[in-house]
Amino acid sequence: MSFSPELHHWLILSTILFSIGIYGVLTRRNAVGVLMSVELLLNSAAMNFLIFNHYASKPFIDGAIMALFIIAVAAAEAVIAMALFVAIFRSRKTVDVTQINTLKG
Amino acid sequence: MDITLNPADLTHTIAFYTLALTSIVAALIVVTAKRIFRAAVALAVVLICGAGFYILLNYDFIAGVQLLVYVGGIVILIVFAVMLTSSLESIEEPPSLGRKALGLFSSLAFLATAVIAFSETKFPLSSISAEQPKDVAKAVGRKLLDYGAGGYVLPFEVISLLLLASVIGAIVVARNPKRKNEGSAT
Repeated sequence: MSFSPELHHWLILSTILFSIGIYGVLTRRNAVGVLMSVELLLNSAAMNFLIFNHYASKPFIDGAIMALFIIAVAAAEAVIAMALFVAIFRSRKTVDVTQINTLKG
Repeated sequence: MDITLNPADLTHTIAFYTLALTSIVAALIVVTAKRIFRAAVALAVVLICGAGFYILLNYDFIAGVQLLVYVGGIVILIVFAVMLTSSLESIEEPPSLGRKALGLFSSLAFLATAVIAFSETKFPLSSISAEQPKDVAKAVGRKLLDYGAGGYVLPFEVISLLLLASVIGAIVVARNPKRKNEGSAT
């Protein structure tokens, strides 16, 4: 047993961050809070790509490129989400996800 | 595994655990803070720690991109979203007990499943002698514009279109519909 970080230590770390993000997505009331939790999820996914790139295919760089793409998609997602929140706030005066239920059957 | 640690390994280990602890605590603040602005600041801390992890893994270029795009761009965007929806002052009610239980159950179930799954798996680790490319930024740049086998030039172009489309879409969605005809008078 060694304490210096190996593959499993890194994987446990990114899994913990991902589970915290899941908790946030399911419990946050403010839509901006949900967006932040989604950013946590994306960040830990990008980290997983880099971890496996570092430990399982060191001479190649494909995992790092996937991390770059995830960062770009996260940026696009944040832009769209912000625009939607502004539009929803203008028409309904709230961004509480438990109040926005027009489409609920 | 040998017990003796050389100083470089020791600093690496200490940095790993410090960053890990900081980012987990900050992530918990992100999902539980009552004031949404405080959560945004904690999110910035998580992302900066993420850049630190990338440096520990020897991907300095990705760490730089993380700081520029995530901390410099996305967090600022989220702060704008907080201000534009005037949730800056509001204090969020805590979630109902049922929601909390559901969230805890799902996240812990995911954590347990994932940890069990990868502690049972034998990953094909690369050999000790395997070397990372010397200059990661250079290797990434070459790979992104490589149109041969294993190149990423098509996804690279598609992602630029995606970003353009999302910027235009954001402008269209967020525009105030009442002021539609104001600018078009000629």
